[in-house]
Amino acid sequence: MMLSVKIEKKLHDFELHTSFTARNGITGIIGPSGCGKSLTLQCIAGLVTPDKGKIMIEEKVFYDSNSKTNIKTRHRNIGYVFQHYALFPHLNVEQNIAFGLKGMDKQDIKDKVSQMLEKVLLKGYEKRYPYELSGGQQQRVALARTLITEPDLLLLDEPFSALDYHVKDLLEQELLHIIKENFTGVVLLVTHNMEEAYRLCDDLLLLHEGQVVQFGQKNAVFRRPENVAAAKIIGCKNILKIDSLKEWDNGIECLVQNTRIWLNPQSLKGRLVTHIGIHDEDIRFVNEENEPNTFPFEVIHTVTGLKQSSVTIRVGSILLHTAVSNNDISRILAKKLNVYLPPEKLFFLVG
Amino acid sequence: MADLNLFPLFLSLRVAFTATLFAILIGLPIAYYLNRSNGRTSDMIDTIITLPVVLPPTVLGYYLLVLLGRQSSIGVLLEKHFHITIVFTPKGAVIAALVVSIPFLIKSARSAFSTIDPSVIQAARILGRSEWNIFFTIMIPLAWRGIASGITLAFARALGDFGATLMVAGSIPNQTMTMPIAIYDALLAGNRELANLLVIIMTTVSLIILYMINRLDKKTSLKSR
Repeated sequence: MMLSVKIEKKLHDFELHTSFTARNGITGIIGPSGCGKSLTLQCIAGLVTPDKGKIMIEEKVFYDSNSKTNIKTRHRNIGYVFQHYALFPHLNVEQNIAFGLKGMDKQDIKDKVSQMLEKVLLKGYEKRYPYELSGGQQQRVALARTLITEPDLLLLDEPFSALDYHVKDLLEQELLHIIKENFTGVVLLVTHNMEEAYRLCDDLLLLHEGQVVQFGQKNAVFRRPENVAAAKIIGCKNILKIDSLKEWDNGIECLVQNTRIWLNPQSLKGRLVTHIGIHDEDIRFVNEENEPNTFPFEVIHTVTGLKQSSVTIRVGSILLHTAVSNNDISRILAKKLNVYLPPEKLFFLVG
Repeated sequence: MADLNLFPLFLSLRVAFTATLFAILIGLPIAYYLNRSNGRTSDMIDTIITLPVVLPPTVLGYYLLVLLGRQSSIGVLLEKHFHITIVFTPKGAVIAALVVSIPFLIKSARSAFSTIDPSVIQAARILGRSEWNIFFTIMIPLAWRGIASGITLAFARALGDFGATLMVAGSIPNQTMTMPIAIYDALLAGNRELANLLVIIMTTVSLIILYMINRLDKKTSLKSR
């Protein structure tokens, strides 16, 4: 299955301009709030009509502004899990799950519902009402209600944002398991949490102010963001402006506020790079000195976390954010170490 | 006691029940429409619908007379082609009661509809249900509490109307004289005893009906919490 989306939608002070092709597996749509993540899902589901563009899954056209096609939501055969699950409060678990099977044979419905209840670990909860269930159980009902209709496409809108922190990790894996076992098509998952997206997704689509800033396999996106907006969305803390740049045979030399930083040789393909970036956990502390990318530093600020601390250091006039495990922190602060920026971990960014 | 005429009581109940029934049939779709759209047209419709609450019933009755009277084009049309006369008939009383009571139902139902989480309705759409089906399986059950209180209010208002009914249907004994008018009539005629009796009957009947509606409401909304 292939979902291809190319839409434009204008709302008073906001413009959505998305274009992507998602394959089977989970594609995470990530971005800060107000970037158009949920709007994209709503357009795909037909809850909102775009101004222009085309949405199709395989050969089935949902929307096409050229041929004036706009299939009604109820005929799109889509699965959708809402942020707050949107269960029918006046119907019990069984009735909620059977809601999308209207018109089918009574006995078939009964069998399907009971099978589904087993899959989502809710046997025995048939007669409960949504308000009698925990958040995680409600989420599983919502998922069951939609999976039972055998949708062509599954859309998940911030499915974990309404859950308690301490149960989130567990439920995340549970949900992932249920989806992988019961659904093989395209899944779009909207979230603003990069960690969650990285754990759950295969591909990532980064959205910023209604525009796609990067789209690709999750590791590629995370290891090599292409532009400043993408780097910010994936949570890169060190984004440095380059003053000048020189390409040599053995690498690329960048001048950042009078500090010389080397990156591995790579083709810039005429990209107008303006910044370099490095993840905080990729910055290392070493004994060597006077090597390329090794600098003396001064600690500015330390925030001690549960297992990891973030240490802000100064190199020349550059501020760098680093992540240090709590076991190492005293070693780093006590000894005269140097900071090392591994050239292979540094990446160029377009402004 | 032997000459106590209960016709006004039965007429009042009949008029109020019929008017409430029509208020539900006409009012719920209007409330649904008003809840869905918030353009200028729906604001205007909303204002017009609220007007009967504010205007004196006599003014409403006057409008209805002008609109549906035997000289008006609608009145002539109804009388010529359908042999229906509205003015000074129980039909007129029903229309008067409907007009004064329908705003209460529409207002309550509309605000009840507006409290439904839109994503619940969207979920129903995604699961393949038509708008018509969603109205009956989702909207009505979820808004039931508000709708029921709207029905109660509308019924109470219809049962108690005096001014509009008097203007449109008049006070013809054994034809269009409803309970409130009969009480006024008795008082005017100096028949205090009859007036007292009618007032007591009216109060008792109203109490019983309202209590029954409340019970019904509680039972049904417990199911659909």
